Amino acid sequence: MKEQSLGRLFLGKWNTMTLVAVAVGAALFGTLMVFGSIPIFANTYLTSAMIIPVIVGGLFGAVPAFATMLIGNFVADLIGGWGFWFDWSVGNGVLGLFIGALPLYGARIDEGIFTVKHAIIYAVCCVVGNAVAFGLVTPVMTAIFYAADLEITFLQAFAGGIANTAVLVIIGIPLLFLFANRYKKRSNLKEEE
Amino acid sequence: MNNRLLINYTPGTTPIHRLNGATKVMGFIVVTVYIIMTFDARIMLPMFLLCTAGVISMRPNWKPILLIMGFMFIMAGVIGSMMIILIRPSSGLTHVGGETVIVRWTDHFFISRELLWYVGAMYFKRLCSLSTAILFILAITPSELAAGFNKIGMPYKICTVLSLAFRTIPDIARDYIDIKNSLMMRGVELDSRKVGLVARLKQTVFILSPLIMTSFGRIGTIANAMDLRGFSKLKRRSWYSEREPTRADWIARGIIVLVAIFVIYYIVFVRVLNPPPFSYWSPWGYW
Repeated sequence: MKEQSLGRLFLGKWNTMTLVAVAVGAALFGTLMVFGSIPIFANTYLTSAMIIPVIVGGLFGAVPAFATMLIGNFVADLIGGWGFWFDWSVGNGVLGLFIGALPLYGARIDEGIFTVKHAIIYAVCCVVGNAVAFGLVTPVMTAIFYAADLEITFLQAFAGGIANTAVLVIIGIPLLFLFANRYKKRSNLKEEE
Repeated sequence: MNNRLLINYTPGTTPIHRLNGATKVMGFIVVTVYIIMTFDARIMLPMFLLCTAGVISMRPNWKPILLIMGFMFIMAGVIGSMMIILIRPSSGLTHVGGETVIVRWTDHFFISRELLWYVGAMYFKRLCSLSTAILFILAITPSELAAGFNKIGMPYKICTVLSLAFRTIPDIARDYIDIKNSLMMRGVELDSRKVGLVARLKQTVFILSPLIMTSFGRIGTIANAMDLRGFSKLKRRSWYSEREPTRADWIARGIIVLVAIFVIYYIVFVRVLNPPPFSYWSPWGYW
């Protein structure tokens, strides 16, 4: 495994491969958001789309995950047609930055490296990311855009954050193990004595 | 699945459809800022009427639009308003400026005229932003969107990502249907009415993992094909759906510039230099 600087892992390599990955990720995110989500509360959905930035992050870095989330939200708004809720889109983007940070703490999905330790850090990242995104970014932006009371936007965002965390942890961790295993089998190399 | 998308892949024939992609994007950005900047129903109303007229002039398929409107009404209009009324009935005082109580049950639960205005105005603002979005979505096609964003100065790599994303959606839809059919053939119950929430979450893993695998498996092929054709070698690129602006475009752009000047004036003089005491305007003369 090549040593890469933290900044590089964070930004990702912006070549054609990454651009295509962001595009495909955004398309997947958009479709899943529109057709694969279960509404549970005002402006809040239990959606499997949240997993996509995690995978993009694991393969390409945190900023590509952020881009996937942001563009994916835009795509979802365009094909679903329920209007543009920039307060939620930006919140989602920030969340993408956190949950896509997998390579920063050494989980390399494309090399088959994802252990229990990484799973625990990932879960913590999910909680922290949701807290920052929906406890801070989205409520403040909603308050600015609609002059809503922080209390109420917090409550709504809180429900969204809980739903996201649940999906990210309950579906995300098994999927990450599955993918890491899949990639491990593909890179069939063993260290020699 | 494709016929449930609101955005069109093929351009329509009405006057708004025939505008240039760049004009549509410019218009959308200005109108969005317009709606976000103001809390004054008198200023939002003309834009709402304009957008509604635009939507009607495009003769859209009304069924999905009405569905979205209804959904929005329940989510933001009913549930959102109820939350405000139950949790913070004093919002009328803080955001509109007065408290003329209509009904009072207890000290904490009451409805004032201003509270109703606040709730209604906030819903109206959301409705305005929805109608502008619907107008934009109905008017534009994905490739026009990418070309338009590039025209107004966004780097073309981002625009390519956008158009590539839309190009991928039909592929994903096809893969999704294939995966779903093969799962049903193996006896997995996918009817959402017959399985509970936890079981549905579990099924999602069954559908998601092959879907992600096939979609991400294509990335290498697409990227290689793009690299071989010299993608990202030059500073700019041309677009298939890029057209010379027509006379209608110049007229529309003139109107957009006028609106943009008004927006800048409003933000500078009304929101920044001389902010009103309460965020929402109301007809009872608090500001």
